[in-house]
Amino acid sequence: MQNLVSHENWKSCFSEVAPGLLLFARQWVQSAADAEDIVQEAFIKFWRRNHKIENRALLYAAVRSIALDFIRRDSRRARREATALDESNEFIEPEFEFEDDTQRALAEAINILPCEQREVLVMKIWNELTFAEIAVALGISQNTAASRYRYALAALRNTLQPK
Amino acid sequence: MNDFFEIENELRNLRPAQPSPILFERVEEAMAENCRASVSDAGSMAKWRWRFTEWSRGDTSDMDGQLVRARQRERASQTPYKWGLGLAAAAVLVLFAAIKMERQQSGGKEIAQISREPDTAPVLKRAEESTSSDKFVPAGATRLVYNTRDEGLQFGRGSGQPVRRFRYQTHETWQWRNPTTGASLRVSYPSEEVVLIPVWGQ
Repeated sequence: MQNLVSHENWKSCFSEVAPGLLLFARQWVQSAADAEDIVQEAFIKFWRRNHKIENRALLYAAVRSIALDFIRRDSRRARREATALDESNEFIEPEFEFEDDTQRALAEAINILPCEQREVLVMKIWNELTFAEIAVALGISQNTAASRYRYALAALRNTLQPK
Repeated sequence: MNDFFEIENELRNLRPAQPSPILFERVEEAMAENCRASVSDAGSMAKWRWRFTEWSRGDTSDMDGQLVRARQRERASQTPYKWGLGLAAAAVLVLFAAIKMERQQSGGKEIAQISREPDTAPVLKRAEESTSSDKFVPAGATRLVYNTRDEGLQFGRGSGQPVRRFRYQTHETWQWRNPTTGASLRVSYPSEEVVLIPVWGQ
């Protein structure tokens, strides 16, 4: 039961959770830089509040809360950017490191999932949270978390099935 | 969940993009700043001086500048809310005080009038006569909640227990009417209410 405050090597802890946290934050913001700002703020807040890493559900709740605050604060800017991106078809940093076209198709299928299913999927697969932790982070029941996860998997399987 | 074994494996093989190395530096800097702030006995003034120094040399290491700018943006974005809430609270207090005074005044006048007037006088006429031309009586109050937002879990200062934050945006309207002249007065203002509900984990 290591406490983050007394954790001398916080870097190893952060490097372990950072990719998953970034992916989680990217659900609400397009830019990787904005996602990094959100993750940084959440991690520092979590660390300052002397939370234990075992309570990582709170860390994800913090990322979610800060991301929602961020898009609320910068909604006008985000709209402008979204319009500009649509018009210029500008490059957006990918959320995943692709090895082949199958993975690219899978990532595209993830992006079209409903938000509530995608956030559960991201927390479960790439952050390895339990349904109990996901439930705490999102303020939903474990059963709801589990069913959203199943719906997400079913939707992905249907999308990727050869027709 | 066995039905989805294959798709789960495929998903696990998909690796999320790695954070930029600069993120680690930024977090490290923020951690160091936090340590310095907590260790320092000089209090908040010293912290502000340090931040100002960091801000002023923003061109040499823009990282610190960005951090300070982010905090300033955050403070700036919170200020209008604070002002708005403060003004709304002040307006409500003033209105309550005004209504209370009106009630006290009208009560006193009615007693005096009743003692003077004969019982046979029509009730409506007496009510009209008892009101002076400058008297306004409350005519209605509405509170329209036009937006409710669940802002997710928050962490109370110094408390490990999370709370769920709900924000209600409302529009309140108070109305007074002068029965003698028919004049009416209406005050409307937007208000915002934040409700924190404790959350217990399983």
